[in-house]
Amino acid sequence: MSSNITEIVNVTRDIAWEPWAVQYFFLIGLSYGAFALTLPGIVFGSRKWAKASRSALLGALICGFSAPVALLSDLHSPGRFINFYLYPQPGSWMSWGSFFLVAYTGLLALYAWAALAPDLRTAAAEGGPLALPRRLLGAGTRPGLVRALGLLALVAAALVALYTGMETMLVRARAVWNTPLLPFLFLATAFAGAIGLTLLLERFACGNDRATEVLLNRWLAGTLAVVGALGVAWWVRGLGGAQPEATVLAQTAGSALWHANVVWMLIALAAPFAVAAVKPGGTGWLSGALALHAAWALRWVVLIGGQDLPKTGAGMYHFVIAAGPEGWAGMIGTAGLWLLILIVLTTLLPWSGALGSGTAAVAGGSRS
Amino acid sequence: MDRRDFFKAVGRIAAGPPAALAAGTARAATGSAHHWAMVVDIRQCIGCQACTIACIMENRPPENEFRTIVSTYEVAEGGRVDSYMLPRLCNHCDDPPCVPVCPVGATFKAADGEVLIDADRCVGCGYCVQACPYDARFLNAETGTADKCTFCAHRLEAGLLPACVETCVGNARVFGDLADPHSEVSRMLAEHQGEVRVLKPEQNTHPNVFYIGLDPRFQGRVDGAPTLWRPTPERA
Repeated sequence: MSSNITEIVNVTRDIAWEPWAVQYFFLIGLSYGAFALTLPGIVFGSRKWAKASRSALLGALICGFSAPVALLSDLHSPGRFINFYLYPQPGSWMSWGSFFLVAYTGLLALYAWAALAPDLRTAAAEGGPLALPRRLLGAGTRPGLVRALGLLALVAAALVALYTGMETMLVRARAVWNTPLLPFLFLATAFAGAIGLTLLLERFACGNDRATEVLLNRWLAGTLAVVGALGVAWWVRGLGGAQPEATVLAQTAGSALWHANVVWMLIALAAPFAVAAVKPGGTGWLSGALALHAAWALRWVVLIGGQDLPKTGAGMYHFVIAAGPEGWAGMIGTAGLWLLILIVLTTLLPWSGALGSGTAAVAGGSRS
Repeated sequence: MDRRDFFKAVGRIAAGPPAALAAGTARAATGSAHHWAMVVDIRQCIGCQACTIACIMENRPPENEFRTIVSTYEVAEGGRVDSYMLPRLCNHCDDPPCVPVCPVGATFKAADGEVLIDADRCVGCGYCVQACPYDARFLNAETGTADKCTFCAHRLEAGLLPACVETCVGNARVFGDLADPHSEVSRMLAEHQGEVRVLKPEQNTHPNVFYIGLDPRFQGRVDGAPTLWRPTPERA
């Protein structure tokens, strides 16, 4: 920092994308990542992945349904969301994203229904207060429909992953976002977080299968290694003078906050990697929680930290999360909604795989 | 031409040539003969912030938000300390990065060159705020929509100068029509060819706010010490 210029008067700008945006990027990443984990077991019939895929489907649904709420909440005029669909803009990634998001969540719901309908029918036969909705939603096994909807949802999920990466990467005015590595970092950490979520759901809501836990932990370690490689690539680019990484390094070199961010990210990535790689069995609850934290931390550092670098002013903004709906209360609210959807889905249907006539039937092929 | 447009046109004619010249901030980029621009002669700016206040009085942004401001710096060099003033506002770029990102088409380039916001359509997503390299935009906490300098389009419609230009005591802000080779802005740009700079030229936004006397150290993000300003109490 030059010592001979002192800023006397300037304006501070509040961040435009609040913690709600972090929650959206986090939840939608978890959803499309978890959805991808459903494919081996549910669409491609891998026996090894059958339980993991079923747990992942629960995670994809919960996050897929709660993410749009967080996105709406980040709009400052949420009542006008309909304008996204009344005035589509082909040149705007966010405009495309509003359509991709609807396509993805809709196809995800249909895919989940097709995969779970046989289990709902079986559960309905057992009677009880939920027999009626289970009977209404239940249906026979339709492997072809499940595969078709799964592949369609895969296209939509890929488009969601693409737009969330591109809409941030293309913002040239934000040096932290403008790196070509950002979409890959979002993608890789979304998968890491999704594996972490699946590990947690597998442990606490879906049966706690040891072989599945080991499988997921091995994939988690591999995915985190990819994230680490992307991080190294970012540093190499920055030290080599590539833009915008070099600018970010120069602007943040003297910032204690950014030094803390770097340490935070290193620990956030190394901790779940170490747990998953060293002891993949019996540690899923820990590696899962740590992986979720890593995915969230990266989005916080990128999205909120990126906005803490003034575009014209000297120094740094120092975002302090508010207590109200735009801050902590909002994030707790998102967590509450997430929990509510979890309760509804796990009440409607047992996810332990004990029934086995739904996803297991689709996954009943010999491929693995 | 519908009845409303007819009466508007009659009103402009009745108001005389300045109003007629200033008209044309319609969304469609057709039929305009103007290319509004501002030349800021930094050598004339004394940092009085009269422009900042005039803008606030005219446009009434919420507290702690500004459509224009004079950034003020203290520069210590060679044993002496000087002040440096840099009026900032929306640059009304010819290639505005805020326009293509808007997901609902609420931000647009008007026929006369101003970058404007349709506040009835804006959803307050803040994407344009992110895309602006000049920190010229903000989300208006009262309206829930994006907000910024409009070159006082409503005053131009009435044949008046932007409030900040009108009030500038040192004539540091000069406003006019680049399409008119005899306008003062055209004359100043021709006269000071070679010394005219824009902010962040590497962004290729082609601003319509030009600076005379702009020190290159202040052309982009200022590398200095932020000592005397802090986040607002709400933020902290």
